[in-house]
Amino acid sequence: MLIIKDLKASYNGLQILKGINLNLEKGRVLSVIGESGAGKTTLGRAVMGLVEGRCTGEILLEGKSILACREEELRRIRGKEIAMVFQNVEDGLHPLYSILYQVREAVLVHSPKDKNAAEEKARGVLDLVGLDKRRSLAYPHQLSGGEKQRALIALSLVNNPGVLILDEPTASLDALTKADIIAVLKRITKETATLVITHDISTAAALSDQMAVLYGGRILELGDTGDLLTGPRHPYTRGLLRSYPNMTTTKDLQGIPGRMSHHVEGCPFHPRCTQRIRICAREVPLPVSKDNRLIACHRGGIIPLLEVKCSKSFGPLKVLQGVECVLHEGETLALIGESGSGKTTLAKTVMGLLRADEEEIRLEGERITKRTKDFYQRVQMIFQNPGESISHRMNVLQTIKEPLDIHKTGTGEERLARIRQVLDEVELPADDDFLKKYPHHLSGGEAQRVAIARALVLNPKVLIADESTSALDASVQAKILKLMMNLQEKRGLSLLFITHDLALAKKISDRLIVLLKGRIVEEGPTSDIIYQPLHPYTRALIDFAPLLKDRTGWNGDHRWNRRTGENMPQTASHFKRPPANPAAGCPYASRCPGVKDRCYTEKPELVACSPRKVACFYPGF
Amino acid sequence: MHVNYWREVHTTGPGRFGLGLLILMATAAVLAPLLTGYQPTAHTGAPFMAPSAQHWLGTNDVGQDIWTRLLYGARTSLMVGGGVALLSLCLSILAGCSAALLGGLYDRLMMRLVDALIIIPPVIVAILAAAYLRPNTTLLIVVLSLLLWPGGARIVRAQTLSLKERMPVYAARTFGAGRLHLLFNHIIPDLGPILIALMIQDTRRAVFMEAGLSFLGVCDPTMISWGKMMQHALKFVYLDVWKWWLLPAGFALSLTVMGFTFTGFALETALNPRLRKEAGHADN
Repeated sequence: MLIIKDLKASYNGLQILKGINLNLEKGRVLSVIGESGAGKTTLGRAVMGLVEGRCTGEILLEGKSILACREEELRRIRGKEIAMVFQNVEDGLHPLYSILYQVREAVLVHSPKDKNAAEEKARGVLDLVGLDKRRSLAYPHQLSGGEKQRALIALSLVNNPGVLILDEPTASLDALTKADIIAVLKRITKETATLVITHDISTAAALSDQMAVLYGGRILELGDTGDLLTGPRHPYTRGLLRSYPNMTTTKDLQGIPGRMSHHVEGCPFHPRCTQRIRICAREVPLPVSKDNRLIACHRGGIIPLLEVKCSKSFGPLKVLQGVECVLHEGETLALIGESGSGKTTLAKTVMGLLRADEEEIRLEGERITKRTKDFYQRVQMIFQNPGESISHRMNVLQTIKEPLDIHKTGTGEERLARIRQVLDEVELPADDDFLKKYPHHLSGGEAQRVAIARALVLNPKVLIADESTSALDASVQAKILKLMMNLQEKRGLSLLFITHDLALAKKISDRLIVLLKGRIVEEGPTSDIIYQPLHPYTRALIDFAPLLKDRTGWNGDHRWNRRTGENMPQTASHFKRPPANPAAGCPYASRCPGVKDRCYTEKPELVACSPRKVACFYPGF
Repeated sequence: MHVNYWREVHTTGPGRFGLGLLILMATAAVLAPLLTGYQPTAHTGAPFMAPSAQHWLGTNDVGQDIWTRLLYGARTSLMVGGGVALLSLCLSILAGCSAALLGGLYDRLMMRLVDALIIIPPVIVAILAAAYLRPNTTLLIVVLSLLLWPGGARIVRAQTLSLKERMPVYAARTFGAGRLHLLFNHIIPDLGPILIALMIQDTRRAVFMEAGLSFLGVCDPTMISWGKMMQHALKFVYLDVWKWWLLPAGFALSLTVMGFTFTGFALETALNPRLRKEAGHADN
């Protein structure tokens, strides 16, 4: 219905839109999200023919070019064929006329003959948007924000436009009003081709089928709303979602480093991007369509940084059985499981400290067969016990310098400067006194930060943290985790976070992998898994995760009381029926409250259960 | 955190005693020319003189001053002891660390070689070696080292195996450290005290063996050695003068060996926390 081709707009030589291609169809809602200043409103205005600067490209409304229209024609189109709900509720309405009058006026502009019919139509529309009949006679200053918003929507709808542009339709509304307005809009948008422009991602999510991410005047990612929100593939989209407070995400808020600028050569996002390469600064990435998603990124979106596939056994004990996981750039992947599930073995195998029986490890797509210095430069590990992992014979300076010495990077002075810099990064003093301290002079938190500094001094892309905070008390742990999250935000550090603490994983991870006896039993976005675990083992882990208050937990249909232990879920000590052949069935069969005969004889494979994977015959029973 | 081994050793009774003896012996050996007016090979008086102001411990069968020869004999003993200790220690580290770090077939072969060498009686081999080669001090040091290293290699290997499983070593490996880096930066520094204990033990054995071999006559004829002094002295048992000749050498040898033994004992006490009453730390 509406086709936008290579739309460019500029004000006083400052180009705000730099080639937008969009396609709006009837009954479909496309949302455009982005930070303020990205050019969202300009896009809406351009479609209306309201941009005061220069517009080039093409906007075709059912084959008719809007940019080529003269003002006279545009006036006829506006409101009738394309209508826009403007951003600011306060300014959109005339203070001297009643709402009904203003809506009726909008009809009369386009068909000035029949006043009664116009009034009838206005009443109908006001009813449709849910504005009370009596309130429609009020003046704008007598209305609440929500009512004004409804009035504005009515104003734009009254001429049955084919294309509706909603510019921040729910900004500055409270949650309940917002929900009401969204319900109204949902009803309306069935009939029109709609463009929703908003920075409020939840509104966009509720309204739209498709979502486009606008940044610096270019569309960086476009895809189906649901997919895009669960699996953002452009680093900017991910950053945007991470910084958006909502009830779905469990990870702590993270921002995007830097500031938006319109004077950027190459990819508009590259100065803030943590995975930029040389080409990003030179050339503008062209949007590439892949798996129903359009991504404009030289690296093809967020890259899978570390891909691991390995098996390992110690004698007859199979510690890892074909575990596969992918760690993306700038992502935290938490590896959860009880002790003995193979978490540490996995970390050590990846680091080459243990030799796997079978392994296929790819780093940035490149198969790693031999752990070279280059590998260790990019992948680093923090060990469990900070006091132990630092040699008691080395002081802070020698400890942090060791990796630099091994890699022979820089001169002595450069190394010292780098050490001071990295100490500063982990919020430790970088003075000579501190550099001369030995591990036994440091507190647990300081020692762990020294260990982190040592792992970071080579500037790795992947950090494997093996229970790295479990030896610390909670306040120190919080500081260290915050530090890691900041590093992730600042330089796109990918974290493989190994822990048995689900509550911790919930706060810091994007994705979760649940390990049980060397197998992955569940994998997916952390928030999904925490909200609704599919595997009974995951559910048990959630049941016994730390709580501050008694709350009813999951146990099938039962509720259990933590204090009294009533209806307590199954734990390791509650064996239901020991399997005849433990190797044959599901590894959780003996403890599973929902076990069936099949579980004892067959091994469930890890199957996709979009966007998750789960290895259970009866997921989420 | 760091045990101050030096203080541990020199503040305990046996340690102080042992170190005192060792220092005494070392001083005697180093300052030999200052402590006597004679040359060890010079004929300075009548044979078999009893101790007197000129000759503090008397003279031997050809009129050489026994006190002088005793001092110079300490040089030989300590040099052989030290040389053997250093050389065999190097061999022990080389064999032990490489076996522990490389592992696999090499480790197994190396350890079987060690087992084989340990059961060879050193004195017999030394006698045979001396019989076929012209005995001299260097040869003695080499032969004794070749015979003494296996015991140390075993200890070094065992300790290295345990040290290489320590977290700092794992951490260093995750920085891409090679085996040599691990060896020189992490393993050998932590082996330190054990190496010192080994060295003391090797020195003690070497001193004793050198004396024993000299006593058996397996040595360079021109060498001045306590063992040889005792052997010569015993040839004159039928005269009543041999005591002046035999006893000083015997005492000197015993005191040296005792010095090493006590020092080694004190060090072992310091190294083994179960034997130690209370740890002294470097920082307090």
